[in-house]
Amino acid sequence: MLRRFVKFLREKLLLVLFIGFVIGLLAAIYSNKAIEATSTPESCEMCHVHPHVTDSWKLSVHYDTRVGIKIGCVDCHLPPKGEGYLKEKIKASARDAYGFFFKDSADFNWEAKSSLDQAQHHVFKASCVKCHSNLFPITLNRKGQDAHLYYTQHEDELRCINCHLNVGHYDPNALHAKNVEFGSTGNENLEKFTEPTAVSALEDFTEQIPGTTISFNMKAIPGGSFKIGSPEKEQYREADEGPQKTVNLSPFFMAEIEVSWNEYLAFYGATAAEGRSTDTEGSRLQGEVDAITGPTPPYGQPDQNWGMGDRPAITMSYHSAETYCKWLSQVTGKTYRLPTEAEWEYAARGGTETPYFFEGDPKDFAEKGFLGNLFGKSNELINSYVIYEKNSGLKTGVPEDVEANPFGLKNMLGNAAEYCLDWYAEDAYTQLSDGATDPKGPAMGTERVIRGGTFKSAAGEVRSAARDHTQSEAWMKTDPQIPKSIWWLSDCNYMSFRVVCEFDEKTGKK
Amino acid sequence: MSESQFSRRKFLGGAAAIGAAGAIGFGPLTSCTSGDSSAGSSAIYDWKQRDYNFPPLLDQVPEGTVLKAGVIGCGGRGTGAANNFLEAGGSTVTITALGDVFQDRIDGCRDRIKKEHGLEIPDENCFIGFDAFEKVIDSGVDIVILATPPKFRPEQFEAAVKARKHVFMEKPVAVDTAGVRQVLAAAKMADNLGLKVVTGTQRRHQHKYINVYKELSNNAIGKLTTAEVYWNGGQLWYRNSNPAWSEMEWMIRDWVNWCWLSGDHIVEQHVHNIDVANWFFGKHPIKALGFGSRQRRPTGDQYDNFAVRFDLDDGRQVLSTCRQINGCTNAVNEVMHGTKGKAFTSQGGTSKIVDLEGNELFSYEDHETSPYVQEHKDLITCIRQNIPFNEAEATANSVLTAIMGRVSAYTGKEVTWEEMMNSDMKLGPDTYIMGDVGYIKTATVPVPGSAD
Repeated sequence: MLRRFVKFLREKLLLVLFIGFVIGLLAAIYSNKAIEATSTPESCEMCHVHPHVTDSWKLSVHYDTRVGIKIGCVDCHLPPKGEGYLKEKIKASARDAYGFFFKDSADFNWEAKSSLDQAQHHVFKASCVKCHSNLFPITLNRKGQDAHLYYTQHEDELRCINCHLNVGHYDPNALHAKNVEFGSTGNENLEKFTEPTAVSALEDFTEQIPGTTISFNMKAIPGGSFKIGSPEKEQYREADEGPQKTVNLSPFFMAEIEVSWNEYLAFYGATAAEGRSTDTEGSRLQGEVDAITGPTPPYGQPDQNWGMGDRPAITMSYHSAETYCKWLSQVTGKTYRLPTEAEWEYAARGGTETPYFFEGDPKDFAEKGFLGNLFGKSNELINSYVIYEKNSGLKTGVPEDVEANPFGLKNMLGNAAEYCLDWYAEDAYTQLSDGATDPKGPAMGTERVIRGGTFKSAAGEVRSAARDHTQSEAWMKTDPQIPKSIWWLSDCNYMSFRVVCEFDEKTGKK
Repeated sequence: MSESQFSRRKFLGGAAAIGAAGAIGFGPLTSCTSGDSSAGSSAIYDWKQRDYNFPPLLDQVPEGTVLKAGVIGCGGRGTGAANNFLEAGGSTVTITALGDVFQDRIDGCRDRIKKEHGLEIPDENCFIGFDAFEKVIDSGVDIVILATPPKFRPEQFEAAVKARKHVFMEKPVAVDTAGVRQVLAAAKMADNLGLKVVTGTQRRHQHKYINVYKELSNNAIGKLTTAEVYWNGGQLWYRNSNPAWSEMEWMIRDWVNWCWLSGDHIVEQHVHNIDVANWFFGKHPIKALGFGSRQRRPTGDQYDNFAVRFDLDDGRQVLSTCRQINGCTNAVNEVMHGTKGKAFTSQGGTSKIVDLEGNELFSYEDHETSPYVQEHKDLITCIRQNIPFNEAEATANSVLTAIMGRVSAYTGKEVTWEEMMNSDMKLGPDTYIMGDVGYIKTATVPVPGSAD
């Protein structure tokens, strides 16, 4: 029987080959059809139950294109065929199926997902350049030429969506231009303060900015000594947080909250009149005039469309923050400046020596897994004090969201990171002598210390001792202006600052 | 005039450089220690990995339909280039249009073309004015020859590319950073459109140079370590002001002495030698530190001597000096130092390669075809045989290298490539009119550093 079948196969070899060929061909065609069929926008929409995505896509330049081609979901959200298309398709399908069956799409933070940080994980540069292979069409204008030239010289570090984030999904609030309207708020008709607050003792006060409607609270911080840095055993501790040293600090005042948009816009409105036409250093030389030249108009939306008001002002450069303090000193007759790193940590700790100024260890609040979630401590405590990755919705919050630390300061840990006066050095505390009074950090450096974690930080990064530093180059990578702004960061949305006021003869020190 | 006015701001444009943080910027993130030639751009790469697009270098251009060229800028070099072009192409090319801002320049060029090549260019194809270039480009030519003072080049080059013309343009291709970027972008457009561009860096079309390059790429002196590049020569030329001339007319007639028109002589002339270093290294420097001064130049606002050290991202260096002063010892050449010897690219009519003991390994006589003609033969050949050839980007990079040296000498400070690319420096008056533009009364010769 078997032998006869083999004989039959041998005799009909061509027929067998032909049938095999046809079956193979059909399999290929149908699997290809299956892939195509599951790659249409309609098939995507079956599971992706977030209709605003479809709406914003239809409003975008990739739907109603100048040349009449319609660009679908997978054209951007999967790599080109032959460059990992199938692999990414399978990965995406698995992820989507899991999301579809086990999660509620209403709980997703769609706003955060469309931010650059997250969009880069589901938009493929290779797909952009597959269609946009000519970056220098002769219709490209001067600014576009400059920007694409910059891209060709930094291709490894840049993505198309760094500049073209909203081309796939229309965002009416997105702005990719110089924002000359920025900062004109409706406060112009309110009564303005004429005098700054007179301060005669080391007590809390509310500063009034003359010529504006803005006031803000300053907390008196008593002098004292504390141990800077963290013990070696502290969870999530980094090497730059030691060795611990004892530091003595003179009394000073510190702002209750991070400099708010209201406060920052007062400065912007008062100083930015000059040089509004161009975002450069300004042609006046230092010392020629007394007036302070403030920021030029930002490019795009510095507040990321998260709202302004009492939310911390963000995306200003270190130079801007410094200039703000100079201006504030000038208009109030006091000595405002950025805190030193020692002042900052002393104020953040408020007399505590634990990882946070409240109870708990970092691991209590970190990613805990299934069992941890069932039996571990709740996050209630940290949620009442700190805006960080778990509760922020990936944007900054307002001061009312949290409670103050023992010194009455809000958002020291988390929310936005804060510039300090010191140059950053990994071994700063090794250089620091034990028992130093009012230390100011290393004499020289290339980057400044930043402290306090951010709305993107994990629990371990919002400890009182956690240190970080500025990134001059990376934070300016995609500013399309030539020259780049010295006032606004193009690639960092979590930097803010907090002012301190010196307790000196101007504030009642005898 | 207070010296503080010679700030970096003035010469660097608006490149942000605030305090130490801004000034360092580039350095710490670039590793200079990598010995692995495959690791990133900062590695010293092997000759084997180089991919250089040599010009075709034919003695005789291939036959083809007659190519029509228009000349924009009909002064000494424009007229010279026109003749070089006609000599290169013989009866298979012609010149059909001329443009300049001065009638006498048009006349001189037209007469010489008629005398030497028997070509008549009709009146209606001779255009006068700052917009003459547009008319020449639109006159139905295949090729445009750009030979005005270099300040005008970027705009003209972009216009030529957008009109889909092949281009012969003289070096330097720009005088400021805004101009360099414009040329770089237009160069990419030219690539996309398949246009051919030759840029007057004729050493790249010269046999004695090409042969040295080929020997070196066959490892004749090992890896390159250092280059010396020189244009130490006499005064070039100048025109005194003339009561019949407006301010603009004088500056343009005296253009090699005005920074906004020529880029200063480190850019205008010395770029030839700097370009050889960039060519042989296969990359451009990332920073420059130099000085210079003005000793004997009769007109204009330029220096007449520069000495600059350029640093590559891999730590190798290029030493450059240039001078335009009469009565000194002259030297116009380049020396390439390698791990196993060195190459003298130009000693009179020959080039020479020696080992570390000074024993001669190779020597090359120059070819009888002038490189000024050869570069046009190469352009014509590449057009007729559709060989991709576009020197604009390489020359723009060499020009930016030279500008970086100039800014460093003017300010006395180290200047980086990133600062140059991020600078809005744009020299000269904002609009071009043949009249008084109020430029000279504000023009000053830079003084670096401070007196106290």
